[in-house]
Order: sequence, then C-alpha cells, then structure tokens
Amino acid sequence: MNVVVCAKQIPDPAAPGELDPNTKTLKREGKLILDDSDAYGVEMGLQLADKAGGGEVTLVSMAPHDEVSGLRTALAMGAAKAILISDDALQGSDSLATAKVLAAAIKRAEPDLVLTATESTDGYTGLLPAQLAELLGWPSITFAKHIEVTDGKAKVQRQTEEGYDEVEAPLPAIVSVTAGVVEPRYPSFKGIMAAKNKPVDQVTVADLGLSADDVGWKGARQEITDVVPAEERKAGEIVEDEGDAHERIVQFLEQLKVI
Amino acid sequence: MFEWTEEQRMIRDAVRQFVEAEIAPRRDEFEFGDTPPYEVLRKLYKTFGLDVMAREQFKRRLDRPDGGGGLLGGDGEEVDPKVRANTVAMPMIPIIELCRHSPGMVTALGVSVGLTAAAIMSKGTREQQERWALDLLTLDKIGAWAITEPNSGSDAFGSMLSTARRDGDEYILNGSKTFITNGPYADTVVFICKLDEGNPPDQRKILHFVLDSGMPGFDQSPPLRKMGLHSSPTGQLFLTDVRVGRDRLLGETEEVSGGGREDAKATFSIERSGVAAMALGMIDRCLELCVQYAKERVQFGQPIGEFQLVQEKLARMEVARLNVENLLFRYIEILAHGKQPTLAEASAMKLYSSHAAVEVTLDAVQLFGGNGYMSEFHVEQLARDAKVLEIYAGTNEIQMTHIAKDLLRR
Ligand SMILES: Cc1cc2nc3c(=O)[nH]c(=O)nc-3n(C[C@H](O)[C@H](O)[C@H](O)COP(=O)(O)OP(=O)(O)OC[C@H]3O[C@@H](n4cnc5c(N)ncnc54)[C@H](O)[C@@H]3O)c2cc1C
Ligand SMILES: Cc1cc2nc3c(=O)[nH]c(=O)nc-3n(C[C@H](O)[C@H](O)[C@H](O)COP(=O)(O)OP(=O)(O)OC[C@H]3O[C@@H](n4cnc5c(N)ncnc54)[C@H](O)[C@@H]3O)c2cc1C
Repeated sequence: MNVVVCAKQIPDPAAPGELDPNTKTLKREGKLILDDSDAYGVEMGLQLADKAGGGEVTLVSMAPHDEVSGLRTALAMGAAKAILISDDALQGSDSLATAKVLAAAIKRAEPDLVLTATESTDGYTGLLPAQLAELLGWPSITFAKHIEVTDGKAKVQRQTEEGYDEVEAPLPAIVSVTAGVVEPRYPSFKGIMAAKNKPVDQVTVADLGLSADDVGWKGARQEITDVVPAEERKAGEIVEDEGDAHERIVQFLEQLKVI
Repeated sequence: MFEWTEEQRMIRDAVRQFVEAEIAPRRDEFEFGDTPPYEVLRKLYKTFGLDVMAREQFKRRLDRPDGGGGLLGGDGEEVDPKVRANTVAMPMIPIIELCRHSPGMVTALGVSVGLTAAAIMSKGTREQQERWALDLLTLDKIGAWAITEPNSGSDAFGSMLSTARRDGDEYILNGSKTFITNGPYADTVVFICKLDEGNPPDQRKILHFVLDSGMPGFDQSPPLRKMGLHSSPTGQLFLTDVRVGRDRLLGETEEVSGGGREDAKATFSIERSGVAAMALGMIDRCLELCVQYAKERVQFGQPIGEFQLVQEKLARMEVARLNVENLLFRYIEILAHGKQPTLAEASAMKLYSSHAAVEVTLDAVQLFGGNGYMSEFHVEQLARDAKVLEIYAGTNEIQMTHIAKDLLRR
C-alpha cells in the first residue's frame, strides 16, 4: 500500500516567530523543521505500509527556499521519498491555494491513502484536509485516533468529545490524524545516514500543470487585513489564607459555575 | 577542517530528545537511587538501531581476511577520509549527549563496549569473539574489565597480585579487584592477572581470562558508595580458586607480545578521546545552564550576568568548551587521515579536557550560588561526576608523565 503523508516544514516553534509587517504573514527565512504534528502521520503511514506487507510512504511538502531539513527528518524515520514544491510564485498562498498545489502533487504519487495532521502548528487553520479531499474528489475522514486498512477500506476511530465514532471509507481516501494515533519513532542512526540519499523530487507550480495565477498572492481568496496582539491575560485573584481560604475558593468556583 | 556534519547534527538532536525524555526525568532514580543504567541504555540502543548496527559491524569484521585487526577499515584499504571521520565522530555524539545529563551512563556503557568487548575483539580467537563479544557489543550482556586491585592502581602491572596457575590443561585463578565499573552486575568479566610459574613477579606474563557471572569461586560485590557517577555501578571482584579451561584464556595462548605489558597505543587514544567527549558534554551543559541562569537571576536590581565577575566565568567556560571541542576535532581529523595521535597528544587531550570539566563544573556551582549546591539545579551532580575524569583512564599525574616521556624520547 502506498501512502502519501503531507509534511509541513515550519519555523522552529522553540524560536520566537516573527511576522512580516507588510504581508502580515509569518517570516519563513531561517531553517524550517518538520512540524511535530506531521510526525504522527509519518509514523502511521510507515506502520500501515509495513502491515500491508508492501508499499511505501511518499512525503509531499510545499515550502519556500527549496527547504528539505524537515523532509530529511521524516525520510530518516523511514519514508521512501519526497515531493517538494518550492517556487517563488507560491509566496502569499492561502490555504486553498496550498491545497491546490498539494492536491496536484499528491495525484502524481497515485497513493492508496493520504494522511495529514488535523491542523498545522504554525498556521493551524485546520482547513487543508477537507480542501484536499474536495479537490481530489476523495472521501475525507478527520480526527483519526486509530486507523486500519482492510479490504480496500480505511476503518477509522474518529475522536469525538465523548469518545469516538467508527467510520470507514473506500480508498483512496484522505485521513487527518490526531497526536494520539501512534507514538512517532526516533529516526535510527542508519536512517539518518540513509536520508541524504533518498530521492526528493523538486517541482515548480508549472511542473504541476497549475497556473501562477491560481496560487500565491494572485490566487489568494483570503486576505489578512489586520494583526493585533492577543489581549493580555488579566492577573489572577490571589486568595490569602486566613483560615477560610477553602470556602472562598469554593464560592469563587461556584460563581463561575464550574462546580 | 572538521565540523559536525548535517547528519551528525541530526543524530545529536535525536539523541538529545531521547535523553531528555527517557533519562533526565528519572535522574533521581539513576543519580541518587540504585537503579542500574542498563535497561535504559538498551532502550537507547534499540531505539536508534545501534544493536543492529553492532551486529552487522561484527559480522563484517569477522568476514574480513585479517579477522578484525585494524580499527578503521583495515590495513591498506583506501577509505575516504570523510567516511573515516564519520566512523570516529559518530560514536562520540551519544557520549556527549549522555554526559550532558548522566556521565555515569557513559562510563557503564564505555567500559562494557569500549573496554571489555574491545579487549575480546583485539585479543580473542574467533570462537571467543563469537562467544562473548557480540552479546556485549549489542548490550544484550554487560561486561566489566578488571585490572585495578586494592594495592595496584597506577602501577597496574608492577604491583599486581592476581594470579593464574596451571593445573593440567586448566588454570586456577585467584585475586581481588576493586573499583571495577559494572562489577556488581556484569555478565562477562575480563580478568587480568599474572601467570605464576614460580618465577619472580616482575617477569611473569600478563594474561587475560574471560569469566562468566556465577562461576564457582567468583564473587561480585554490591555497588560501592562514591562521590559521584552514581549511575555507573562500581564494585569489587573476588576470585578464590576459580577453575577455567584454556578456552577462557584470551587468544588461547600464553605467548603474548611484550609479556602482555604493552597496551596498544590505539586503546589509550580511544579511551582518552572518550574522556574528552565526556568533558565536552558536561561543559556544554553547564554553559547552557549558566548562561540562562545569569540572565534570569536578579541581584542588586540587575541580572547577575551584568556583573563582570560573572561574565568572566562564562567567558572562561566558553574558552574551555572551544578548546575541548577543538581537541576532539583534531583527533577526528588525525584518524580520518589514517594516522594515530602520539602518546603525548592523546594524554594531553585527556589531561586538559578532564581538568577543564572539573573547573567549569565547579565554576557553574559557584555561579548558581546556593542553588548550585542544591541537587535540584543539576550542576552539583556534574561537578561531583567531573572529578572522576581526572582519576580514571590513567590519573592526570600519569598523563603528565606520559607527555613528558614522549617529549624526552624525541
Ligand atoms: C496570507 C498567507 C500567506 C502565505 N504565504 C506563504 C508563503 O509565502 N510560502 C508558503 O510556503 N506558504 C505560505 N502560506 C501557506 C501556509 O503556510 C499554509 O501552508 C497553508 O495556509 C495551510 O494552512 P495551515 O497551515 O493552517 O493548514 P492546516 O489546515 O492547519 O494544515 C493541516 C495539515 O495539512 C498539511 N499541510 C498544511 N500545509 C502544508 C504544506 N505547506 N505542505 C505540506 N503539508 C501541509 C499538514 O499535514 C497539516 O498539519 C501562506 C498562507 C497565508 C494565509
Ligand atoms: C569510578 C571509577 C571507575 C573505575 N573503573 C575501573 C574499571 O572498570 N576497571 C579497572 O580496572 N579500574 C577501574 N578504576 C580504577 C582506576 O583506573 C584507578 O583508580 C586509577 O588507575 C588510579 O589508581 P589508584 O586508585 O590505585 O591510585 P594510585 O595509583 O594509588 O594513585 C594515588 C595518587 O598517586 C599518584 N601517583 C601514582 N603514581 C604516580 C607517579 N608515578 N607519579 C606521580 N604521581 C603518581 C596518582 O596520580 C594519585 O594522585 C576505576 C576508578 C574509579 C574511580
């Protein structure tokens, strides 16, 4: 079974991010790393291919400046190859444009299954999975906490607030996975050494048969009109204990209707 | 010039993540309790495929016509210096990363794999290599290497009292060993002793025997209490008339070159570069903790990093870090080009790095003030652990004598 895993490469969340004051988008100039959220998809893909007794995991990523650092991490974990879409024309792409690009690249890989995270760590709109499904015309299952593939079907436990739903869809399908789906492996030393020699197919917007007008600033249907700092959290209330602190805390919680 | 490669940095990041997830949160257990380090070290090996790599490497080595021999790619083989550099540099990365939190783990691992298995690989017959070394290299079994005795340390061969006596086709072994890393838990022990043929002790041959835990007459003490390095169990070994066949004599021959007293220079340099890598990890960690603390801790209305006396400490730590890293880089370069460091170079590297680690870790305690003296802030553990680097793998005084001997011989 061949699995495509969408692997977003993002600025290191440990470093303070910066917005470009003109475009109001995140600056992506430095080294990008594999979004942690996508490590779960990579692991799931590897396990499913393994269980099926054949097939491989192909990564698909759209990122600026021919960035491969994050892809190398996923390749070191065991993915076989990657398709990287990097093109100046992509600057300013919103989520729908991103979905068009990723969908075109996914088609090339002819997968049985596509895995994404439920939302990325930096953009976290959570729009991509459904947009991809719509563009590809394939079924979409979101919030998977468990996936099994049998008889040409994806059987998924879909996380809900109370528990989970059992749903299934014929393949090819798009499934977005939560962080509970599997525990990502560490790349082995051998995997890391091998990653450099695994193929990364670098393509442009034109290579994918898309017009530059559909992507980037030109294709964007979304506009960031303003960016404002999040409201600072109000200082909490300090309860000094004069023997009755517990009562006052209970009262306070009752007021909030949390108990 | 050597620099850590992209892959080596990736390996570093992955190992760091593992150590921070699996070892750092259990520090109380390993460094203040009695949990032995082996189970988590095995997990490290499995996680990164090091056990599989060790097995493959072992097989390749035995398949080579020289049956092992040369450490890196064998003699006469044209090996790309970059490949060799990677072969030397890669094992240093887990050493450095483990030492940022738990130098004892490296000692336990290094003695089992670096000393015990290496001794069997370099001195043993093919049967002996297959019988004992493979399980040690994969960490399935834990090894100890025993030379030190209550009355013989720096003068290891001169004052050694442990003996082997012939008895028909077999040998009877007697003696006690002390300060033996992994001694309390080892499955496989390389026991070093003198062949007593009734001749004067200084003319006796030095022989290496392999013992298994539980053999009649062979006792392993519980761990000794010590200043630091708690995650590395250290103990005593007692042998009373332990009877062994020739199959346990490494090399299965008494004919050893130089009477068995010539320790290969290569072993020295591996051990001494290992100490430098350990020092680098400890210095690196202290520096990281200290820079952060200097920015956060406020006294007299300003972060203590604003005080020049604190800055001087940070600057000296960075100098030490750069120097130790450069010594390691130079060592990697020398081996990458198929050469060996001189005895003076290897000793200088060990002498300088261990001393730098002691200085930096103690300065870190000082920079942290009262917090530095408290175990919660980690630097006091590193300071206690660092001291051992000046004592084992040849005391620093012995390193100095080696440097001077090498200089005066020229
Ligand atoms: C105004 C604006 C400007 C932008 N400018 C740029 C730009 O200059 N260059 C650029 O590269 N991007 C740019 N982006 C695209 C952006 O970084 C996201 O890729 C896109 O908007 C998806 O949004 P998200 O991260 O919220 O996706 P979500 O829907 O939260 O993502 C869900 C999952 O989809 C997958 N996924 C999402 N994005 C990618 C990706 N890029 N590659 C592979 N898998 C992915 C991951 O599995 C992810 O976890 C811009 C977006 C906007 C809105
Ligand atoms: C934690 C730990 C783990 C160890 N693990 C092992 C192990 O796995 N296997 C093993 O066999 N051994 C092990 N050792 C033993 C270690 O190798 C010895 O402690 C070391 O070689 C020093 O010997 P010693 O303790 O007898 O000190 P001594 O040799 O008695 O030295 C005492 C002092 O005299 C100085 N001195 C001695 N000779 C000279 C000289 N010629 N010139 C100047 N000064 C001199 C020394 O430098 C030292 O300062 C370990 C030790 C420790 C602390």
